[in-house]
Amino acid sequence: MTQAQPQSTEATRLVRDPDDSIVAGVCAAVGRRLGIDPMIVRIGFVVCVIATSGFALLAYFAGWAWIPQAGGERGGKIEGKPAAEAKAERSRVPANWKVAGGVGLLTLSFLLVLRELGIWWSDALIWPLILATSGATLLWRQSRAMSPEPEEVARHPGMMSEPRGRHRAGIADLYRGGFGIALVVGAVLLFLASNDVLGETRDVVLTVIAATAGLALILAPFLWRLGRNLASERAERIRSQERAELAAHLHDSVLQTLTLMQKRADDPREVAQLARHQERELRAWLFEDERAPASESLARALETAAADVEDAHRVPINVVAVGDAPVDDRAEALVAAAREAMVNAAKFAPDAGEIAVYAELGPDGSQVFVRDRGPGFDPESIPPDRRGLRESIIGRMERFGGRAEVRSEAGRGTEVALTIGEPGS
Amino acid sequence: MRREFDPVSLVAGLVIVVLGAVLMLDQGGDIEMSPGLLAAIFVAAFGLIMLVSGLLDSKQK
Repeated sequence: MTQAQPQSTEATRLVRDPDDSIVAGVCAAVGRRLGIDPMIVRIGFVVCVIATSGFALLAYFAGWAWIPQAGGERGGKIEGKPAAEAKAERSRVPANWKVAGGVGLLTLSFLLVLRELGIWWSDALIWPLILATSGATLLWRQSRAMSPEPEEVARHPGMMSEPRGRHRAGIADLYRGGFGIALVVGAVLLFLASNDVLGETRDVVLTVIAATAGLALILAPFLWRLGRNLASERAERIRSQERAELAAHLHDSVLQTLTLMQKRADDPREVAQLARHQERELRAWLFEDERAPASESLARALETAAADVEDAHRVPINVVAVGDAPVDDRAEALVAAAREAMVNAAKFAPDAGEIAVYAELGPDGSQVFVRDRGPGFDPESIPPDRRGLRESIIGRMERFGGRAEVRSEAGRGTEVALTIGEPGS
Repeated sequence: MRREFDPVSLVAGLVIVVLGAVLMLDQGGDIEMSPGLLAAIFVAAFGLIMLVSGLLDSKQK
């Protein structure tokens, strides 16, 4: 009983419900508040608009502005978002529509003032021209909305995947398309009628328009439902495709790897290597779009190098990278030296557990530490003909203005510290 | 319950007060407004409210 209370309060409060609205839900809100079927209020409102030559629309706009939207009071919060952001999100009319409508109305007002002042050419030309331009703009926008630009999809990654978003976009397309066509057709007819081009056919045209309008009124609910069903069906189809793609990917990658792991259960190193490889692959598949490629990100380049060494030598390598930097010649040298240090650790400490790579990266300088828990060695005792450490790590870093330090102690592992630039400055 | 400051309501309120004042002056004969000019003022008022609301919404988002 106590749970039903808020719902009943919500039902009798004067609030606009986005799910029960045709334009902004003002008539539905009034109908609910007064306990009248919203459809009756809508019909009454249309009659009022006609009777008052459109002035009743002002009341509608006022209601739109002042009646809060359902789902919280004005200034309420949505999932911890700030009140202002939550209000903007609840708003039924997208911000760009409001801006476009506002600019359109101000332009219309300016034209009306010019007309009143006599700075005017001809009603027969200018009004049809404005209507046609507005209609063409709406149709143009709709054609863009139906196939959004890649940049737009990148900016709003959820726009094509959220069913509700797609549903709303479908309804918005319907509004825009229908309204745009009506504006262009109206503009053409207005132009023809104003210039007496229609002549004797005027009666026929008026009859056709009246019949079409009547038919549209009769068919509107069916067409409306059909549009909603089509949008839902399309959303369901896209969801099914996404599910099928996910299932196919899981089968091709995760399930195959699990089968392989069962077959190699007697080789723990290979099982661990398979698991890590699969983890990397799955992460890359899930988050690939959000991350910069290895050719642009030093952190990503280090991770790629570590993955290559891990696959080649079957030794787990754990990379922790803090920050990031662009990839230039110095960064490439740093990655190459780090890779050589990882290869050395994998070759000389294969059974010493995980190799740890810790990197602090920044645009002014970067530092990478490669640690293993192997047997360790004396760096001074390395023969001169062994060029791996001397040339590929120390020499390479020095050639690019960096430095490499090798700290190793017998029985306590090895740490190679690679520094380039001024890290942390 | 205290309501949060809503700039759109403020602008809408001011615009409607100005509209009311214009209508009163017109009715009192202090100014002469043609129906066309009156319509232009009404259209401009609602255009202004929509524009302000849209700009604030896009800023908040």
